[in-house]
Amino acid sequence: MMWWMITNIHNAKEYSRNIYQQMVTIGNDSIPIVVFVGAFVGMVTAVQSAYQLYDWIPRAVVGSLVVKSVLLELMPLMTAMVLAGKVGATITAELGTMRVTEQVDALEALAFDSVSFLVTPRVIAGVLMFPVLIIFGDLVAIIGGMFGAVTVAHIPATAFVSGMKSSFETWDAVFGIIKGTVFGFTITSVACYHGYYVEGGSEGVGKATMGTVVLACLTVVVLDFVLASVLL
Amino acid sequence: MIRIQNIWKKFGDNPVHRGITFDVLDKETTVVLGRSGGGKSVLLKLIIGLLKPDSGSIEVDGKDVTKMSYKELRALRFKFGFLFQGAALFDSMTVGENISLALRRHTGWKEKQIGESIRYALHIVGLDNVEHLMPSSLSGGMKKRVGLARAIALTPRYILYDEPTTGLDMETADGINLLINEMRTILGITSIVVTHDIHSAFVVGDRFAVIENGITLMTGTRDEIQNSQHEEVRKYISSSLKAQEGRRP
Repeated sequence: MMWWMITNIHNAKEYSRNIYQQMVTIGNDSIPIVVFVGAFVGMVTAVQSAYQLYDWIPRAVVGSLVVKSVLLELMPLMTAMVLAGKVGATITAELGTMRVTEQVDALEALAFDSVSFLVTPRVIAGVLMFPVLIIFGDLVAIIGGMFGAVTVAHIPATAFVSGMKSSFETWDAVFGIIKGTVFGFTITSVACYHGYYVEGGSEGVGKATMGTVVLACLTVVVLDFVLASVLL
Repeated sequence: MIRIQNIWKKFGDNPVHRGITFDVLDKETTVVLGRSGGGKSVLLKLIIGLLKPDSGSIEVDGKDVTKMSYKELRALRFKFGFLFQGAALFDSMTVGENISLALRRHTGWKEKQIGESIRYALHIVGLDNVEHLMPSSLSGGMKKRVGLARAIALTPRYILYDEPTTGLDMETADGINLLINEMRTILGITSIVVTHDIHSAFVVGDRFAVIENGITLMTGTRDEIQNSQHEEVRKYISSSLKAQEGRRP
């Protein structure tokens, strides 16, 4: 399926409306959950960093820790995990239901290339929107981190910001975006594969959906390590 | 003309077809009769290349479908309309969008012309002003009609009907049978109907192929089938008629 998708990528132009729709579904509709997760990830990172470093190191270091961990690891990974559940499960359930109700066959019978129509737009939308969501999550997590640091750990906002500025490197953000692209491709591909080739009616759709979430999460953590090893 | 010759197909260790052979003549309705689970729906999918047989050939207008590339198959499918057993309407689209999807993709027509085609296709199947409805709000009979409207929107040469009356009440089923006959008489479409509904089969069929245990027991006209001396065909017809009489009011 992936080989077919890549070799027929030119067909995706014909289905650009589907790509836009999927970008809205994957991107726009996921903003609330990414904001929620980002805010709490940032806050808990700040509070726990402050707890671990208490009296040992200048408190500005909390800002450094938050920005580094959020950009490099926490938001890319947490966003991917959350979206493996939300986006991955949705894609598998949608395509799986279409398969078992013969809607995929109906598309083919209407002379559509069902992979280009159903799979390619979802994967392209995932590759494009995951990095955007991660950037969005990064911003919210950093703001959340500052909020947690100031309100719970009683670290002055100026100290947090100065620590954040001193350790910020553009590469860290770029690395997170690269992760987002890879995770977006992985999660949507796994989800589309499970959904497109589902067998066995509604029970099969349920199993495929669970399989997507499990496999996508496992693949993401392995790729997380591989990317860190190769790129850092 | 469609010529199906010695088709063999199995899924895993389960043989579905073990040498299916029959011809579908132009501008006729050929009914494939057989028990549920006998591979009738699979046969329709083989005809338009959604599945590939293990061996045998299926010729559509002289070209062997089993040897076609994917590009050739897509071109072939313009000749076909397919009414799926559950209608297989795209549930995220309205009725109008279901019908216009292929028109927008394949014709390059303007919106006005597409709109007219949608209304015409729906009018033919006896539905008016339902373009804006979602499939979930339609009854089973209406879904089949919309599925048929979608199938005829691209003015196909052949229509494949997969159990068109299954799950419908008698009155609605008779309405669908009437439509199938109209497709042939008004639009001159060649049809293949697979069904286990013997009443519907005798209403719409010009020619019949009876399938049992993956092989073609007999082919022939309505009279030939009804007066067949083939023991298994007689048994199948009489048991199906009895079962159906019990269900009809």
